[in-house]
Amino acid sequence: MATKLSINELKSSFANIKGLELLIGKIIEEEWDEIVGPTPYPSIIDLRAWDHRLLNRYEPFYSPLCDMCCLCTFGKCDLTKGKKGSCGIDIKSQQGKIVLIACLMGAACHATHARHLLDYLIKRKGRDYPIHLGEEIDLEAPLTRLVAGIKPKKLGDLEEVLDYIEKQITHLLSATATGQEANYIDFESKALHAGMIDNLALEVADIAQISALRFPKGDPEAPLVDLGMGVVDKSKPVILCIGHNVAPGSEIINYLEKEGIYGSVEVAGICCTAHDLTRYSTGAKIVGPLSRQLIFVRSGVADVMVLDEECIRTDIIEEAKKVGTRVIVTTDQLCANLPDMTKSPVDLIVKEIASGNTPAVFINNPAKVGEVAVKVALEIAPSRRASTISEEKEILNAVLRCRACGRCRRNCPADLPIDDAVSAARDKNLDLLAQIYDRCLNCARCESDCPEHIPIVSAIRVAAMEKIRNEKYKVRSGRGPIKDTEIRNVGRSIVMGEIPGVIAFVGCANYPNGNKELVEMADEFAKRRYIVLASGCSAMDIARYKDEDGQTLYEKYAGDFDAGCIVNTGSCVSNAHIMGAAVKIANIFAKRKLRGNFEEIADYILNRIGAVAIAWGAQHQKAAAIATGANRLGIPVILGPQGAKFRRAFLGRQDKKEKWMVYNARTGEKVYAGPAPEHLLYVAETKEEAMVTAARLVMRPNDTSKGRMIKLSHYIDLHQKLYGMIPDDFHLFVRNESDLPITMKDQLLKILKERKWEPVEIPDPTLLERQIVRME
Amino acid sequence: MSDSCDVFKEKTNIIGLEKPEFPVDVGEMYEGERIRKPDMYVEFGGMNVERKWELVLTRPIEEIEDGKITVIGPDIQEMNPGGSYPIGILVEVAGEKVEKDLEGVLERRIHYFTNYIEGVMHLNQRYDVWIRISKRSYQKGLNSLVWIGKILAWLYKSSFPVIEKIQITIYTDKEKVEELFPIAMEVWSKRDVRARTLKDEEVNEFYACVMCQSFAPSHICVITPNRIGSCGSISWFDARAAYNVDPKGPNFPIPKGECIDPIKGVYEGINKVAHEKSLGAIKSISLYSMFDNPHTSCGCFEGIAFYIPEVDGIGIVHRDYKGSTVNGLTFSSMAGHTSGGTQNPGFNGIAIEYLRSPKFLQADGGWERVVWMPSQIKERVKDSIPEHLRDKIATEVECKSIGELKEFLKSKQHPVVSQWKVEEVVKAEEEVEEEVEEKVQEAVLPAQAPTIEIPGQGGIRIILKNVKITAEKVIIKREKK
Repeated sequence: MATKLSINELKSSFANIKGLELLIGKIIEEEWDEIVGPTPYPSIIDLRAWDHRLLNRYEPFYSPLCDMCCLCTFGKCDLTKGKKGSCGIDIKSQQGKIVLIACLMGAACHATHARHLLDYLIKRKGRDYPIHLGEEIDLEAPLTRLVAGIKPKKLGDLEEVLDYIEKQITHLLSATATGQEANYIDFESKALHAGMIDNLALEVADIAQISALRFPKGDPEAPLVDLGMGVVDKSKPVILCIGHNVAPGSEIINYLEKEGIYGSVEVAGICCTAHDLTRYSTGAKIVGPLSRQLIFVRSGVADVMVLDEECIRTDIIEEAKKVGTRVIVTTDQLCANLPDMTKSPVDLIVKEIASGNTPAVFINNPAKVGEVAVKVALEIAPSRRASTISEEKEILNAVLRCRACGRCRRNCPADLPIDDAVSAARDKNLDLLAQIYDRCLNCARCESDCPEHIPIVSAIRVAAMEKIRNEKYKVRSGRGPIKDTEIRNVGRSIVMGEIPGVIAFVGCANYPNGNKELVEMADEFAKRRYIVLASGCSAMDIARYKDEDGQTLYEKYAGDFDAGCIVNTGSCVSNAHIMGAAVKIANIFAKRKLRGNFEEIADYILNRIGAVAIAWGAQHQKAAAIATGANRLGIPVILGPQGAKFRRAFLGRQDKKEKWMVYNARTGEKVYAGPAPEHLLYVAETKEEAMVTAARLVMRPNDTSKGRMIKLSHYIDLHQKLYGMIPDDFHLFVRNESDLPITMKDQLLKILKERKWEPVEIPDPTLLERQIVRME
Repeated sequence: MSDSCDVFKEKTNIIGLEKPEFPVDVGEMYEGERIRKPDMYVEFGGMNVERKWELVLTRPIEEIEDGKITVIGPDIQEMNPGGSYPIGILVEVAGEKVEKDLEGVLERRIHYFTNYIEGVMHLNQRYDVWIRISKRSYQKGLNSLVWIGKILAWLYKSSFPVIEKIQITIYTDKEKVEELFPIAMEVWSKRDVRARTLKDEEVNEFYACVMCQSFAPSHICVITPNRIGSCGSISWFDARAAYNVDPKGPNFPIPKGECIDPIKGVYEGINKVAHEKSLGAIKSISLYSMFDNPHTSCGCFEGIAFYIPEVDGIGIVHRDYKGSTVNGLTFSSMAGHTSGGTQNPGFNGIAIEYLRSPKFLQADGGWERVVWMPSQIKERVKDSIPEHLRDKIATEVECKSIGELKEFLKSKQHPVVSQWKVEEVVKAEEEVEEEVEEKVQEAVLPAQAPTIEIPGQGGIRIILKNVKITAEKVIIKREKK
């Protein structure tokens, strides 16, 4: 709140004052006595030195999708073979620029989502509503403390964090215009800044909604909720929410509860808004990740579809209209050329929508959306149920038009054998189409390239009808943050070599081979007693598989942040807690100060915390932003094969010994610490490669011998099991004989001798000279 | 199935260091593997079996036949699939440097080593053992306990070079298991007595543990017979064994040096090592005090001893205690004051086992000063609480606030209460003085109020004309009390 004091004229014995105006923008009562570190609210250049350090070791490796630039009217400029564009840009900088733009898109999405949520929550609960994440969480906002340098106590405190985020995004975007930033390294430094800003926005959004909407607060026993195409009870009116912003969905539930009819109307969701609906109320259901969008909407099960923001198919409104599903769009991010009825009276809107006069509208008021959605659903459901005719026959007839041109398969990002399946369907064999269902990502590129306009995705749905009907899984509702006590709990086990590392499955659903590989990876790492985390679409897809006992991994493994458990943190914005857990470790174990102290903490994480993220189906620009933010904080990320299309990796070079020198903080000496972690951003071609890479990337220079022993034993064992041989680089990760797994010692010692291995010391590692502690 | 394993042959080949051929894989990565009932071939011990045990004993070197594995009673292949059987595992070791004190340390390795075997799950220890063998591993050839003996023997020898000879006998014969049980009980009881009665004064050296320096670079744990590592996992015996096995490892001896203060537990040798290993951050450590240079913690301490000034007593809380303690603070919020290798008087990271130590916070009054602890912990260490204090220490059941605690302590006549009276008298006197002062001020103020001349007296006059003062924000810091 601003304070203003004006004195026109004051005459007294001690002062004469005329025309005094005292203006104070904000008065903050400061209760946090932690000293402010070097970079509170860092500008683009404040952490540049750290970025350059990272980029020197992990050089950007570009895989251009397009080697032209067409951003100004001089274009198209051909940038191949060392040629420059009309503005002087070369291909590397052009790629850096595009990566930065992608990261900014992602960061802007999360920032806007956070702003929408915060505005909504403040309106409902007030600026003074407390931020509280439960009794066992003292470190409520690790990233906000770290980056912004504030300790938020109320919702209102988060506003200035968002002001900062929005300003940074503007400045960064400006640098991508023609005639601004010139060098790829600094484009990447800016991308890292955008990533960090993105992560901060995630945290703001999630701690605000956890506090104000009473989501689970780091509860390892957050309830198991329903997930799957078959969990929606079609006999009831169905409201489907798609997107990421829980505000309209939560208002639907509020209205149903107020009217006492919650339970008689189905509230289901697709993508992250579904996660957050179940965090709000366990009665809500998750249809599935992004990749279920088209197929479910086409089923026509939803009476009303409420769209908020992010990851919504551009054509989904048209698709909904075709099956008679009414549509409400709710945010400024998606208006879809629909009439704005925000200010119209509820009854009028309901009449317009239900009658079909205006089957799709824009209402920018969550509470109103709640009421309208429910009323429309109740009104139209009975007649829609009665008139649901089977279009199955029609769809299967269309298949007969197939002329086996093969364009469907060529245009499929996952190279699925669609042509064979459609051909088989033509001969009345639907099995192949049904098999495709499991791996299909619902992008519908096959359809749009079909010269006969066969509705292939619909045909897949019809073929897999039985499967879809029985698709009922359990997922643990997103628990949000990791408790401080859990961090303490695992500290000992990590040091003593009982927990080999932390593996987080994050990102979207653009998998090379369906979600099963993701489940297999998560299962394998949990079985090996890694701490396994999941978020967003990955957290849903991990649930979309049952073992021989009919259990999903969430039923099989506990939800604690501990060895051999699987934690669902929640939606996209809950990714903040994965980064946050790493930050907490630095604060809890080493008492490193967080406040505006990014570089020191990132250095700590890079050198000490064995956490790796696997974004097996990374697709959206948001995934690029989240991953880049994790990278700046020192957390490596492995992308699935499609991730190569993000155009850039950050790769380390084992063969360049000089890149792996660190300071020993205890002596100030520069010592070789081995290639750990070897890469910051890596694209794995296969599941097997992702697994051994993850097992390798959890190694850190500070590992105790016991810790390194367990990490090595898993790395070597996985490599042996998946590739049939001992990895040819394991010796690079052996510092002394105590690092060797006892059960392989003799065998490995022999190889070490052949490779002329020499022991090295285990340093107290840091890349920062100022971290060297000199004895007084 | 391997033909080298004849269950009726008592003696098998001597085992060297080289990894022998086993029918199943053996490796660290199998640790923690769970075997569910449907996947289990047979199980030993566990809830369905009354008698089960495992024991490590040191022997004179000539009494041991190295590598001898004996199974007494039915072997796996003679058992009914799905059955539960009694078991006794006796590991006998010898070596010049294998001291009796090493037995406990070696015995706990049975758990880890057995778990390294693919398809074998081992839980608990001593008289509470539970072993499951998976169907898959049985089918792969793990059809005899001789294999388990062989694997154990090999792992012991590879992990502990000090072991010169080892022989292992596995009992499944019900009567034999029963017959030997009292002997095992006696060994454990003697071992426990020794561990609990061994005093810091009786040993020549303590041990350091710098394992956690990988995360908390300025922290060092000092481990003595009367002070187990704060994580509760490394006793003086463990540290000593670890040092013997790996002299360059994270556990190393600290020569005690001169005892500067026997009550607080201040030793010249400790101070020297702590100063050096904490890179000068720590100058002195009192082993048995939470007020005067308390021992530091990394972050994984099991519990916290915290001072409650309102009653001049000490509270205890452990990591798993949810919700607020009696002072309104949670474990998490107090842990912030306790961790990271810094000394914060009034907060002390401790292992639960330390509550059983005869020197438990002895400089601060020990148990006489403890006023509150969670019921779960109280129950766990009940036997170590002096009898006259047992019902005087409150738990969350009796007291949830300081007010309730005060009443409780008073009603129970807890020893700390006798200290209050002295203080209350002093405090009361102070309060009277304060009140007098305030009254004086109040009386004077009105007379001064009309003429605020204070700044003007020095001849300064402030003139402000058309001034704009703009501040984006003003941060007001509270002064520390």
